[in-house]
Parts: sequence; structure tokens; C-alpha cells
Amino acid sequence: MTNLLEAQDLCKRFGGVVALDRLDLAVAPNEILGLIGPNGSGKTTFFNVVTGIYRPDAGRVLFENVDITHAAPRTVYNAGIARTFQRSRLSLPLSIFDNIMIGNHKRLNQGLWFNLMRRHSFKAEFEQGYRAARALLEVFEPALAERMFEPAAGLPMIDRRRIEICRALISEPKLLLLDEPSAGMTHEETAELMKDILQVRDRNRNLTIVIVEHEMGVIERITDRCVVLNFGRKIAEGPYRQVAADGQVQVAYLGVAS
Amino acid sequence: MGGTHQKLRAPLFPGLAALVLASGYVTALLAAEQQRTIIALLGIGIAGVVAAAWLGLLDPVNRSFADREDALGALGIVATLAVGAYFHEDHFVLLLLVTVLLYTVATLGLNIQFGYAGVLNFAGASFFGIGAYTSAVLNTYTAVPHLIVLLIGGVLAGLIGSLLLLPVLRTRGHYAAVVTIAFALLLKTFLEVNDVLGGPQGMQVPGMNILGWSFNSSFSLGPVSLSFYMNYFLLSLVLLVVVFILSRRLERSWIGLNLDALRLDETAASCFGVNIARWKITAFVLGNFLIGVAGALFGMVGGFVAPNNYTFADSLILVSILLLGGIGNPWGLVVATVIVVVVPEKLQTIQEYRFLLYAALVIAVLLFRPEGLLPRPVRRYFPGWRP
Amino acid sequence: MDAALLAQYVMNGLMLGMMYALVAVGFTLFFGVLDVIKFSHGDVLTVGAFTALATFVGLRGAGVGLAPLLLIAMLSAALLAMAVLGMLIARFMVLPLRSAPALNVLLITLMLGTVLRESVRLFYPQGANPKPFPALLPQASIDLGRFNLRLDNVVMLAAGVLVIVGLQFLLNRTKLGLAIRAVAQDEETARTMGIDFNGIVLITFAIGSALAAFAGVMNGLYYNEINFGIGLYLGVIGFSAAIIGGLGSVYGAILGGFLFAGLQTVGTVLLPFASAYKDVFAFAVVIAIMVWRPTGLIQEKISERV
Repeated sequence: MTNLLEAQDLCKRFGGVVALDRLDLAVAPNEILGLIGPNGSGKTTFFNVVTGIYRPDAGRVLFENVDITHAAPRTVYNAGIARTFQRSRLSLPLSIFDNIMIGNHKRLNQGLWFNLMRRHSFKAEFEQGYRAARALLEVFEPALAERMFEPAAGLPMIDRRRIEICRALISEPKLLLLDEPSAGMTHEETAELMKDILQVRDRNRNLTIVIVEHEMGVIERITDRCVVLNFGRKIAEGPYRQVAADGQVQVAYLGVAS
Repeated sequence: MGGTHQKLRAPLFPGLAALVLASGYVTALLAAEQQRTIIALLGIGIAGVVAAAWLGLLDPVNRSFADREDALGALGIVATLAVGAYFHEDHFVLLLLVTVLLYTVATLGLNIQFGYAGVLNFAGASFFGIGAYTSAVLNTYTAVPHLIVLLIGGVLAGLIGSLLLLPVLRTRGHYAAVVTIAFALLLKTFLEVNDVLGGPQGMQVPGMNILGWSFNSSFSLGPVSLSFYMNYFLLSLVLLVVVFILSRRLERSWIGLNLDALRLDETAASCFGVNIARWKITAFVLGNFLIGVAGALFGMVGGFVAPNNYTFADSLILVSILLLGGIGNPWGLVVATVIVVVVPEKLQTIQEYRFLLYAALVIAVLLFRPEGLLPRPVRRYFPGWRP
Repeated sequence: MDAALLAQYVMNGLMLGMMYALVAVGFTLFFGVLDVIKFSHGDVLTVGAFTALATFVGLRGAGVGLAPLLLIAMLSAALLAMAVLGMLIARFMVLPLRSAPALNVLLITLMLGTVLRESVRLFYPQGANPKPFPALLPQASIDLGRFNLRLDNVVMLAAGVLVIVGLQFLLNRTKLGLAIRAVAQDEETARTMGIDFNGIVLITFAIGSALAAFAGVMNGLYYNEINFGIGLYLGVIGFSAAIIGGLGSVYGAILGGFLFAGLQTVGTVLLPFASAYKDVFAFAVVIAIMVWRPTGLIQEKISERV
């Protein structure tokens, strides 16, 4: 069984800071992988390298055995990888529908003639997009679905996270990268969010998820296994219980082994 | 632009009332002859708008125009024709109206670049001038049909613009700013130094002639004699309507969405497949094409072109229109163009000061009401559509 | 080409480079401290030059005839007035728009530049026409072979070098300079370290605007003439120079300024038939550089957190 995503010997430095230090990481198809580690251990940098925002200094990234190391972000997206961002990056002046549809880019007809002249066909595609967005949003929060054409500005953090996740899920990606989805939310809100994400996944067993998190309760509950990073290297790997007990991991987080 | 969700379509009335009031006001302003009357009218107008803004009346008008666009657009065309008919013999007023129409087309082009894609263009007047010079050269030296000349003017503006674009694509907003400003300054100097295109005196532009119908001769409809500018007025109105509709469709499409996405957050947009370079180029070239076409027609209307009419300061006027009216909102553009073009023409005393005044006005707008007169509403792909 | 002509070109290039560098450094300071492009910078230069001229006219009218005295008075007036103007701009137009999109600051300063430019054109007596600027530096010159080395040029170059060196000293060796650099690096940390952010911003704008005034007076002394559009022209050049040097880097701005002057000189040599083309040439090269190295020859600081 080949890995869905594989990073080999990945290196990335920013000036004098080594963010990724010969990182080897593999993600199996259909699993939920937790990516944890203290602040600055390279988790978000890893996401940024995979999605093509940063170019690695060395190493390779393979997705479904295809080399995407130097691929541009939109190539990575077209291959089937979608993500959320650590600090929420929604376009606030745009409507909820607009924000979600941005994520649907590869399934929409982007031709000039189609969009300007073939308005009947465009309308059909628009309605189709609306139904898809609505169905997805209703899993997370039906009340939001009622307000699809209101601007995203002014919504509470949890709603904005929901919209961001819908934006990532609408194109039915093969791999979903979640970057600290619980940031800025309470335990209850996070639990609900995770429950909804799992619900979407149950409908679509083809979805693989890598989740960066600091809230260990979430990691424990929903991940199949974890990878622990420290200073850009992998220091432990395995189911959560196992890595939590690992001495090296404890030193990395707490400074001392318990 | 928060507030309550519009479950029902916005009513037609606010937009209709605004349209009727505006048409009446503009007609009165155009007809007024004495400076005192004009100043009085302007005072009333300003007071009216400020009061409307303060009382929150602009908001329902804005929503009315967004939701009822088809009806109000048709009525707008009728209103424009009515105003034109009222002044059917007045050369000066008709020329002014044509100027308003063509400047609106140009600013709609600028809006695609600036308002949708976020690409700064401080050389709008230069591209307008490129279109005008194209008319001058082709009409004088060749027998190319004049409607084709308009297209060529647009294409040339688009092509030259695309040359400027290369540095812009890989860089951030302020680089585009300096490149276009430099282009604006250089083009004017180049035209003045170069005698091939007439130097500082410029060139004459033979008037439009379609299939033998000369646009520069007066004609009559039965007992009613019309100024020859009526030809240009009607053609300009057709051009504006076409460009307005296309521009609306562009905004209300996946392309419009891509442009907004890349303007608001380029990194996120590229992570969701948006080809940043492709859409920036498309927006920039398309915008310049429209500006060029408008300029080409304007050259024929005016009858001559000179470098002094297409300076950096004139480009800033176009940008001011965009900022005053409400970036991204075509209806706001129309209103702002009328104000910016008509007022200095009527109020001759302020002609000299118009650059200063408009710059000061924009500063005030940016400090106190940055969304402009008619802020851009949230995108409705099909106004009045219910799920 | 003979040595005398070459020397003339070099001298010309150095003078221009100095002026461009002074303007470019202003742009880079503003960008460094506040991440803003202050497009009115060039027009502040114009107002500075006209302030100096007005001072001259006023003092002359009052009977003052001593050249050094006049010059000092003009410089002081221009520098002081522009420093104040810079602070006012920062206080009322730039700082209030901190939270607005960066575009708004660019636009507002662009419009402000127009206001300044038009004000000079409309309100200064016959401002629309070029005005003669007095030659207040010693007019002597030395003949080196066939090359005529003008003493006033030497004085101006020396003064320019002194100003730049002084600025570097201020930035790198004083507490104020440290504060400015701290704010340029990271606003929040600077604040938590007790630095008065707003105060530093105002001071930086004052310094940058005073630099513009200095460049404006220099420009007037060099060409013996000023006009209301000179600031726009120098501003665009200064801005381009700052960009190719790498926005945020003072060395880069200086480098960019001299580079642009060098390009113009090369352009003049290559295309002697019309001086307008030298600018086209220089800008074309600058645009090419921007395509090749979008963040400038010395890396611009990009601080976007993904």
C-alpha cells in the first residue's frame, strides 16, 4: 500500500533558522494523522512547503507518487490537496457563498465566454454550486446555510472556521490539511467542529486528513496516529497514547520527562 | 456592509425616485446659464446628498439599484435619452453628455483593473490617449472603417498595457503604481518631443463616418433639427450600455469571484487554484482595451488630440472618480463621473482648481467614508434569484 | 569621447545621483518604519524648494544681501517647515489610516501630493512658470585641462555626502536611530520595550521630509531654477531608485539613486538626439531590473506570516 503523501529528507531554512531539518514523513491513505510538536517545531512550515507556498531547500514531496516538490500552490490544489490556515484567511467583505466557492475553483468553468455569454449554463452551474455549498454547510451549522449571501465579516470565530473548512472540503479533496482548527475556540466548539468534520469524512471515505493541533484531547479522540516534530525533525511516531508516553516527546514539550 | 439578510428583493421605489430626481437635477444643472443659478443648484445638490447620507437614505437606493438592476438600467437608458432629447440642439451640452458617457466607459475599464483585480493603474488617461491617437492616425492616413478603428484603439491600448504588466505580476501593489506613473509621465514627454505624432500641438482627427453617414454633419428628424453631436451621443450610449452589461456579468461570475479573491488574499486564492498571473493580466488588458475604445471614440468626437489632454493629472481624475463613486460599484461610477465632468464645466470659476479640489475631496472621502458614495454591495449572482 | 567630456558626464551623474539618493532614502525610511508608500514625498520636495525661494525673496526684500546668510536662512526655513509638514502628514493622514488597507495610504498620499503640487501652481505668485533660483554658492571654478570643475557643485556634493553620512550616524549610532530601527523591525516589540511609537513615527517623517527639503534646495541651486512639477518627477525617480535598491534598506536607496543617475547618463550618451529618451531608457532598465529581482537588489523585508 503506497503512501498518499510522502516527504523525504525535507529541509527548509529561513536565514539562520532551520525550520525543517531533513524531515521524513508519510501519510497513509484514508488515515487521520495528527501532527504535533511545540511551537516553532515546523508544523505550519511543513504545510506551507507541501502546498507550494515555500520552496524547500532540499528533499522531495510526493503525492500519489507524483513529485510535487516544486509545484505551485494551484498545482497542488488541482492534484487534490486542500488546506485551512492557522490564522483565519477568509475574504471578509465577500459573502459566505463566495468564500466557499473559492474552494470549488477546479470544478467550475473559468472560461471568459462561458461566464460572460452563456448565462443560462452559468446559472445552472451556479445553482449546482449553491446546492453543494449548502449541503456541506448544513452539516456544520444549518443557521449559517440560511445566510449564505451575507458577508462573512462580523461572524464569530467558530462560524468563520466552519466556512474555512467548507471552503477546503467543497472540492472533495483527497487530502485535507487542517492547521490548528481549534485556535480561538472553546473546548465545546472544538468538539463540535471535530464531530462535524468526521461526519463529512464518514460520507466520503476517500478523505485523508492531517491535523496540526495543540489541544491534545482532540488529537487523542480523532487521530489514528501521530507524528511529533521538534526543531524541524520527527522525534516520535505512533498512536497518541504511545507518543504521549514517549520520554523524548515529554522533554520537548515540558522540558523534563515525567 | 452588514445588516439584515434581504429575504425579499429590495423595492424598486428608492432607485426609481433617485433616478428621476437625478435626471431632473442634471437637466436643470445643464440648462442653467448664470453662474449664480449654478452655484445655488450645486449648493442644493451637495446639501441634499450630505443629508441623504446622514439620514441613511443612500443605503436603500444602493440596494434598490443592486437588486432591481434590469428595470432601473432600462429606465436609466430612457432617462438618458430623455435628457439628450431635451438638449437636442445644444452642441455644448450634448458634447458634455458624450464626455460623461465615454469617461464612464473608461472608468468601468479602470474599475475592472482596480476595483476587482486590485491592479493599480495610474496611467488611465494615457491609455485613453493611445486610443485617441489611434483614431487620429488611422482616420487621417488610412481608410480603415471607423468602427474597426475603435476596436484597434482598444487592442493597441491593451497590448501596450500588457508590456507594462510583466514587472507587476511578480511584485506587490506599489510596484504597479510606480510603473504606471512612470509610463504616464514618459508617454506625455515622448509625445511632446516626437513630431511624428504632431508634437505638443497634437493632431486633427477626422470625424466618424459609418457607411457614408458622416457623424460630423447635423441632421434632422422631420421638422426637428439635431446637433451633429447627437450621432456621437447615441453611439456612446450604445457603447456604455454594452460595456456596463458586460462589466456586470464579469463581476457576477466565477471570474469576478477569482478577481475578488486574488485582490483580497493572493496567497489563499492561489492555494485554491486561482491562476493569479492569468487573471491579473486578463483584468489589466481588458480594462485597458475598454479605456482605449472609449478614447478612440472620444478622439473622433473632439476632433483633435494633444499630449496635454492625457497627463498623469488626468489619470488621477479617473482614479478620483473611482474612489468617490465607490470602488467596485458601477452605479457609483456613473454618479461620480457626472459630478466630476459636469461641475467644472458649468462652474467655470473652478475649472483651474479642479485637480486641487478633486484631490482634496478624495482625501476627505478616504478619511471619512472610504467606501465611497455608493459602496459596493455583496455579490448577487442573479438579482432577485431565490433558492 | 575625451576626458573633459567624460569628467563632465561623471560630475553630472554624481550630482543627480546625490539628489535621487536623498529622495530615495526618504521613501525607504517611511516604508521601513510604517510599511507605507508616501507618494507625496516628491511634492514635499517642491514645497521645500519654494519655501526656500520665498524666504530668499522675503529676506532680499528686507535688505539682506549676504549670500551665506541668505543660504542658511533658506535652508533652515525649508528644513524646518518641511519637517513640520511631514509630521502633520503623519499625524493626520498616515497614522489614522493604519488599520485601513495599505492601498488607502498610498492613495491618500498620492492625492495629497496633488494638493501640494497644485497649491504651489495656483497660489505661489506665477507658480505655473519656472522660477529662477538664486545662485548663492561661490561661483568660482577650477580648470582641469578642458574640464571646468565648478566649486558650487563640489560644495553641494560634499554637503550631500555629509548629510547621508550624518543620517547613517544617526540611524546606527544614536539612541534615536536605534528606536527608529526597532520600530521599523517590529512595531509591537518596540512598543513593549517602551518606545513611543507615535513619537518615533512623527520624528521619522520629520527627518525624511527635511531630507526632501534639502534635496529641493540642492536641486534649485544646481539648475538655478525650480518649477512646480519637479517634485513629481524626482519623486517617481526616487521611488524607483528605492525599489530597485530594496525598500527598507538605506544603502539600497543610495545605491538605487546613483544607479538611476548612471543609467540616465548612459542614456544621454547613447541617445544624444533628445533628452526625453534618456528617461525612457533609464526607466526601461529599471523595469527590467524589477522583473528580474522584484524585491530589489538588496532584499526588501517581507513580513507576511502565512
